[in-house]
Amino acid sequence: MRASCLAAVLILLDIFLVSFTASASKMGLVHETTASEAAPITQRDATHLQAVEDHPPPEHEKTHAQSGHVNLGEVLPIWSCIPFIGMLLSIALFPLLLPEFWHHHFGKVSAFWAVCMGLPFVIAFKGVALHEILHIILADYVPFIILLWSLFTVSGGILLRGSLRGTPVVNTVILAIGTLLASWMGTTGAAMLLIRPFLKANKHRKNRTFMVVFFIFLVANVGGSLTPLGDPPLFLGFLHGVSFFWTLKIFPQMLLVSVLLLMAYFIMDTYFYRREGLSAKTLDEKKEPLRLEGYHNFLFLLGIIGCVLFSGIVDWGEISTLGIHRAVQDWVRDGLLILMGVLSMMTTSIRVREDNDFSWAPIIEVAYLFMGIFITMIPCLSILKAGSTGALAALINSVQKPYHYFWMTGALSSFLDNAPTYLTFFNTAIGSFFSGMPEVEAVPLLMTEKSIYLAAISAGSVFFGSVSYIGNAPNFMVRSIAEEAGTPMPSFFGYILKYSLVFLITVFLIVTVVFFR
Amino acid sequence: MKFERVLFHTQFREYAFNSLKALLHLKKAGLKEVVLVYIIPREDVGFVPYGGYLKDAEKRIHAEAESHFKDWQKAIHNAGIRSVIRIKSGILNACILKIAEEEKVDLIVTGAKKRTTLEKIYVGSHILDILRRSQVPVLMGKYMVEFESDEGILSRKNSRIFERPLLATDWSDPSERGLSAIRALKGVVKSAVVTHVVDSKLIKGMDSSQIAELEKESNRRLAAYRERLRKETMPAEIHLAIGKSVPEILRISRETEATLIIMGKTGKDWIEQYWLGGVSHRVAELSELPVLLVP
Repeated sequence: MRASCLAAVLILLDIFLVSFTASASKMGLVHETTASEAAPITQRDATHLQAVEDHPPPEHEKTHAQSGHVNLGEVLPIWSCIPFIGMLLSIALFPLLLPEFWHHHFGKVSAFWAVCMGLPFVIAFKGVALHEILHIILADYVPFIILLWSLFTVSGGILLRGSLRGTPVVNTVILAIGTLLASWMGTTGAAMLLIRPFLKANKHRKNRTFMVVFFIFLVANVGGSLTPLGDPPLFLGFLHGVSFFWTLKIFPQMLLVSVLLLMAYFIMDTYFYRREGLSAKTLDEKKEPLRLEGYHNFLFLLGIIGCVLFSGIVDWGEISTLGIHRAVQDWVRDGLLILMGVLSMMTTSIRVREDNDFSWAPIIEVAYLFMGIFITMIPCLSILKAGSTGALAALINSVQKPYHYFWMTGALSSFLDNAPTYLTFFNTAIGSFFSGMPEVEAVPLLMTEKSIYLAAISAGSVFFGSVSYIGNAPNFMVRSIAEEAGTPMPSFFGYILKYSLVFLITVFLIVTVVFFR
Repeated sequence: MKFERVLFHTQFREYAFNSLKALLHLKKAGLKEVVLVYIIPREDVGFVPYGGYLKDAEKRIHAEAESHFKDWQKAIHNAGIRSVIRIKSGILNACILKIAEEEKVDLIVTGAKKRTTLEKIYVGSHILDILRRSQVPVLMGKYMVEFESDEGILSRKNSRIFERPLLATDWSDPSERGLSAIRALKGVVKSAVVTHVVDSKLIKGMDSSQIAELEKESNRRLAAYRERLRKETMPAEIHLAIGKSVPEILRISRETEATLIIMGKTGKDWIEQYWLGGVSHRVAELSELPVLLVP
């Protein structure tokens, strides 16, 4: 078994190596064997770097220009996206088909796809490829994981105790509060804070499945659409230059979706509540007053918001780390975010975390999987950035209208994780409207002149993350906690057919008609 | 203090059953019921990335653990002791401490892993955490261990752990309760050892007369401990040492051929203990003997 796995890996590596080398030859990066070839940076790069030194581009542009990013996107073939697709399909299919295998070996699967892409890529493109990999790790992956970790750690230190009675009004209010909180403490944080009290409040109810499903819709997804803290795709947008408050522009869309879903929820809950024959009098449980423990963690949440905000406002220049230029304020932000998490751990009673059933497992899983996702997505992003000169020109040319972006981003976000999907279409838009233009110049134009497209991408990636269990990381955490607490949850397809198609798709059609025609 | 209800936590490692059998000797000291506990770590069945909860796996693990326990229950029953089974999914330490509270046990017994390449008995962070947080005494069982000595790596089987306990006292209230623990073991203890280590830091700057006075006072206190044990018809010997606490306690435990180290767990300097580990934690980590920590 192991031998055949190893053989498969070697064959795949070989195929990718041969093909990448062919592409590299096209680009002119592979030449006759000389002493200089052993060096990590090729002669062509060196010449290019010298030219860059003589005429330095703007800071953000510099990183891409030095790496030959645009050129890479033009020569990379479409099949170089296979490891990325393989990675995303693994996330989509393994939990369904081989859940136990996946649970124990997801890290190896992630590493497998990363190596399939990374190793031949580095051998073929040498310094340029290494630069690309380091760039995506240091500039995207590291801050992404640090933000998620800090939000996860801090929100895991807040515990809501007390007894709530799960009536339609109370449940709707909890969902509304969760929806509002999600943009400020992250969908994961808000979901983890409220899911257990929500389940506890409704443990006397017979029909609880739809409640958790609407919780996933609203708190774990839609609610996170207003700030870069809310949902990972928006933070990736922020890292790529979308300003912190720009995302508030999708408040009308978020409000419409939330109101429609909350109304649908309230009607359903009222119907079932009456049918179950429950009333406040029938619930004779001892009432425990509501109280928050570990509420000082809200200060650290404010600190996190402040850190992200400040990194988007100040400009303290750049420093080079392993040849990757990053803004000083970004490193400072990452350091402060870690500090917020550490302070939360030091100042929060271990009992609060245990009563919250706090576990590092979900964040460790996300860290492993996203390492694979970020590395394998490099060719895909490069090709999309190349616009009509890249191998995905057909896709870029076919996605033109705002509703195209909304539904395409959404459709993929439903079944692939929404963070990489956001970046994919973010780059599609840049490639489509501002082909060849450096990101640092293109993003402000995207926010102003083509803001409806960015809104469609943002809304599509966040909203549609709730269409399936695999659309967004908090979905599976909520499902896991609900099942553990004895709430039956629908199967993967049951969730989509019974709930997503009925409620979400209807609401998204209305959103399309109102905002993205 | 009494040891009538004991929580026995296991992860079904090698020698877990032998460790349980060694515990059954407590019957002579009044043991009436053993609560057999197995915790399914949530990470093993929950939070499947982008999946959900492995209900079937949980059921299977639960059934396997129950089957093991039912087998063990026969031996417990044959010893004339009652037993209950508690299998739960969740956070390991939180669950153990919660069950201890619910079952109102007098003692928590948990095991240490086998020797690692670091050539010492590995005490997982979860055990240290239980030692730190438990409100009832915690016995860290070490049925079969390998340890480092001047003669190289030796192995030791701790099967009759209650026959010759060593109480390492620092005169604190928890140490006083450690003495009560020895008295509660009456019936299984053949002889006891009481020791006190005057830490070398303490005598720094003292002249010889002050040191002599300190020794005299320490010996007087040790003799008082011995007298109290004799009243319980437990023969006891006393040992006073000067030096570094942890190595001295380990040395005396070996020289006196003790079978168990009993120590009080002090609540002071908890921050330092949390990060660096106090004397009791270090002894628990380094000794080849089982260690009973009394809060």
